[in-house]
Amino acid sequence: MMKPRHLLDRLFILSLWIAALIVITILAAIILYLFSKGSSFISLDFILDRPQGSPLGSAGGVMPAIMGTIWLVLLALLAAGFPALFTAIYLNEYGSQRKSSRIMNILLQSMASVPSIITGLFIYALCVVRLGWGISLLAGSMALALMIFPVLVVSIREALRSVDSQTRLAAAALGVSKTYSLRRIILPQAIPGILAAFLLAMGYAAGATAPIMVTAAAIVAPAPQSLFQPVMALPYHLYILFNEHVSMQQAYATALVLLILLLSINALALYLRSWQERKQAG
Amino acid sequence: MKDVVIELKNFNSRYGKQEVLQNISLTFPHQTITAIIGPSGCGKTTLLRSINRSAELESGYSCTGDILLSGASMFNMNAYSVRRQVGMVFQTPVALPLSIRQNVLFAPRYYGLRQRALQDDLVENCLRKVALWEEVKDRLHKPASQLSGGQKQRLAIARVLAVKPRVLLLDEPCSSLDPASTERVEETIRGLAAELCIVIVTHNLAQARRLANETAFMLNGQLIETGPTENIFSSPKHEKTRDFVTGLFG
Ligand SMILES: Nc1ncnc2c1ncn2[C@@H]1O[C@H](COP(=O)(O)OP(=O)(O)OP(=O)(O)O)[C@@H](O)[C@H]1O
Ligand SMILES: [Mg+2]
Repeated sequence: MMKPRHLLDRLFILSLWIAALIVITILAAIILYLFSKGSSFISLDFILDRPQGSPLGSAGGVMPAIMGTIWLVLLALLAAGFPALFTAIYLNEYGSQRKSSRIMNILLQSMASVPSIITGLFIYALCVVRLGWGISLLAGSMALALMIFPVLVVSIREALRSVDSQTRLAAAALGVSKTYSLRRIILPQAIPGILAAFLLAMGYAAGATAPIMVTAAAIVAPAPQSLFQPVMALPYHLYILFNEHVSMQQAYATALVLLILLLSINALALYLRSWQERKQAG
Repeated sequence: MKDVVIELKNFNSRYGKQEVLQNISLTFPHQTITAIIGPSGCGKTTLLRSINRSAELESGYSCTGDILLSGASMFNMNAYSVRRQVGMVFQTPVALPLSIRQNVLFAPRYYGLRQRALQDDLVENCLRKVALWEEVKDRLHKPASQLSGGQKQRLAIARVLAVKPRVLLLDEPCSSLDPASTERVEETIRGLAAELCIVIVTHNLAQARRLANETAFMLNGQLIETGPTENIFSSPKHEKTRDFVTGLFG
């Protein structure tokens, strides 16, 4: 006869397992479903070609959309990366007790809770119309930058925070400046985590549709050549293929390409995170 | 009588509303090992971190009263320069995530030591003082994280010695070490007493007795009794001190 406490423990752990299992099953189902539906339509041609056929997109491939997404994401990261890095360093290393950082925290939380379509509309009003950039790669990446900024700050801060506090104290007690410890100890320890934060933000941006819908995306466009021209993007292309009933086959194949892109980015990010953990353990 | 290096005058400190140290007046002489003993939570770590001015890095910390460093109030000095002159080694052995050599050179490089030959000398010199040189001289460029706990603690002392402090504060330096490592660290501390003012917090009363010339007993943030170690242990004046050193509470 088991003691009731142990029984409760077991039941609790069992329910945790079941919950996790349900989520994992759903995730696996999505991936398997897309693979089974899409994989037979994916070919080298599909990846390298541009959309063809009539209606456009019913044949051909998705190369301009892949390039468009890559450019959008890289520019967004370029625009948001450094400000986010500096903000996170300030919040975690310099201002953690100050009033300014408490205010900044509230701002970040508000920013993170702005729906991404509103971010898109704001950039539309400001950049596309007011500044006259037009529907363009640059405007789209600004919208994405605005969207990923709070996420970046939070996850970079997490990477900095996970640097051992005893290590920080041992360095500070030697009378060296904060900036010196940051440069020689804290940042090197946090680098894999920071890179992982960048990657996760890239994945987030690559999958977002709403902010680019009104700022950058075109139903059809060549691979990006200028900052001030509209571009294609994978999630938006997928939306069009599906919504306009262009071609379900092409839609599945596009979805699969997007999924593989996102999964590989996330896998790399997870690898980097575990690298940081090992670095700190060893 | 030896020169007084650190002198606390009616020193109080608090974290937020909680008073941690109350009206402490205490002196630490040159070339002397002073042990600070007292039950857990009585404020020993806070006392050391106040003297090193690293307690100020914690949120909510504040203090009143004065601490003199070689006769001058340390609160009129630059906090960084105080930390450099009053080195502190913490309870958990910390190896900075650098090579063994760069651990020793961490602070000296910040203070401008660039010349390779001088760096080499300093590294060897400091590692010899903590009796670590023979053990690590062939792997100076290996990550310090590979060292054992006892070796890390001696490396931590070497790292502090590298900026030539006047005072060495040790917060339970042996609490996570085995007896053999403890003995080596104690040897090191004894050797350093010839040139430094040393303050060691310890829960190990036998260690205080073995090492310290002077002993101070603290209770609930107050200094109860201080004097030559033998007196504190064999003929304490205060009843509380007697109870503590005979192991009635702790
Ligand atoms: N960073 C901090 N913030 C708030 N309170 C603190 C902080 N550090 C210590 N305290 C409080 O100050 C009091 C004294 O702590 P301190 O660490 O100095 O005790 P100690 O004598 O070193 O104890 P131990 O022997 O267990 O190490 C404790 O009540 C503790 O809760
Ligand atoms: Mg302590």
